[in-house]
Amino acid sequence: MIARLGAAAKYLLGKDVAGRNLRTYPDDTFIVSYPKSGNTWTRFLVASLIHCEEPMTFLKADRVIPTIDAQSRAFFKALPRPRVIKSHFPFDQNYQRVIYIVRDPKDVAVSQYHYQIKRKVLQDGHPMEEWIPRFVAGETCPYGSWGENVGSWLAARQNHSGFLLLRYEDMIRHTDVELIKIANFLGIDPAPQRIQWAIEQSTADRMRKLEQQEAGKWDSTKDTRKDKFFVRSAKSGEGKATLPDQCIEQIESAWGPLMRWLGYETSSKGGGVHANPDVLESILEQPAR
Amino acid sequence: MMDQFNILVKKLLGTDIVGRNFAIYPDDTFLVSYPRSGNTWTRFLIANLVHPTVDISFANIERLIPDTSSQSSWALRRTPRPRIIKTHEYFDHRCRRIVYIVRDPRDVALSYYDFQRKYRHIEDRYPLESYVNDFVTGKLNSIDWGTWGENVASWFYTRGKTRDFLLLRYEDMMEDPFRELARTATFLGIDPDPARLEQAVARSSADRMREMEKRESKDWVATKNHRQDIPFVRVAKAGGWKEKLPASCVEQIESAWGEIMMSLGYELTVTAQVPVLPTPGKLEFQ
Repeated sequence: MIARLGAAAKYLLGKDVAGRNLRTYPDDTFIVSYPKSGNTWTRFLVASLIHCEEPMTFLKADRVIPTIDAQSRAFFKALPRPRVIKSHFPFDQNYQRVIYIVRDPKDVAVSQYHYQIKRKVLQDGHPMEEWIPRFVAGETCPYGSWGENVGSWLAARQNHSGFLLLRYEDMIRHTDVELIKIANFLGIDPAPQRIQWAIEQSTADRMRKLEQQEAGKWDSTKDTRKDKFFVRSAKSGEGKATLPDQCIEQIESAWGPLMRWLGYETSSKGGGVHANPDVLESILEQPAR
Repeated sequence: MMDQFNILVKKLLGTDIVGRNFAIYPDDTFLVSYPRSGNTWTRFLIANLVHPTVDISFANIERLIPDTSSQSSWALRRTPRPRIIKTHEYFDHRCRRIVYIVRDPRDVALSYYDFQRKYRHIEDRYPLESYVNDFVTGKLNSIDWGTWGENVASWFYTRGKTRDFLLLRYEDMMEDPFRELARTATFLGIDPDPARLEQAVARSSADRMREMEKRESKDWVATKNHRQDIPFVRVAKAGGWKEKLPASCVEQIESAWGEIMMSLGYELTVTAQVPVLPTPGKLEFQ
């Protein structure tokens, strides 16, 4: 009863975490991804595009593009429109304008594993072979599995004009090209010097230096191990290079078709416990009666 | 402020409508569909199957298979486990066991049109063509469920092939309710005993449900306080769109969701096009 009273008082004051209960507007833009897929980097890039007058920092990026389940409803209500909001949720029909960042799940797995060590959820040297099955089952984070998260958004919004799909790998390779897409989607003039400024503000080196200054104050790093870093490899291909074969097999057998549809290399043709747009038909070939 | 105060009191008393905000147990089964796709009929079939000795009606259905859009968090907590819960929500990764009912969206549109007139969401004179446009472009005031395409696809692409997902087509259920209920029984871990199935199908017939609606519509949460001249249990048929839905509406639905309709075995009248919805307004950043 006390807990419910507390929750009710918070609600009345609008101090409850917004999360799924955020009141959205048609001009909101959401930067959505599965965790550890380049969302923070994208936020740095976009925040620098929007505010190109002073240097970007982690704390500032958090203010310019707040996290949906880290801030209260009252906070979002007071935020000037049009708002840009960060979210990791699977499909939410209230989001009308979405920039969705996707990353090869093999790399996501490695990154999430290291982040959980940094957050003291896992201990150093935790066996990857034990962790990957839980990752595949969606048990290692509260936003569904990688396939559920990516699949639910693609299924509902692919080809929707309010949906911009970006691959982290493309963003690494041609940051300027992908950032111009983002600028156009947001209705921001993609002037070369503005794009260049945003990219310089968001280099991995610069972000690593900033992390050392701000780690104790930033929500995602405070109370975590300081000998491990949030800004890690900032590369693609780490999963393929470092994961044991059996782990790669487990990931591919869960999401092979969806990975191939997204252009991610798979070592086998197998897989597909979870479906994807190309193989929707095969879903229905399961014995219907 | 007054609104917020009301919600506050409801939260305190546990009488707030749950929506997506409730604790899920691993042994919950969810009966999911877009609205107007045969969910109520399926709910009766399953309730009659699970409780063969209970006289199932609109008076007790909410207690046996609660609806997340009309029941309180208190009512859901009170429901004995293992629970079967009815919902129209689009994909929610917390739900593990899913019975998903899908129906031809061209029939769903017609049924929904009558339903929203019943609920006074639209007036009788609101043109069907405008309604179908709202239906396809996500402008219905019941948009909390997403569009038909979003709702169906968000579940299928994520769970369609998993063991814990049972797909029921309304059209197959109409064709052979006995056969489809047998599949459902097996999925739910209930012995598909023919006599028991037969009884559940008979007790959930459209005629019987219409009679119950006449008796109980002023008490059932989904029908009380709404227009009584338009029935909740409607034609209970498949394919009505062929006669009643204007060609322009059929085309709009097919061009939006042609691909997924074909995958579900719904034949198209026109060639499917790439679905493109209208561009939301441009933003202005400083």
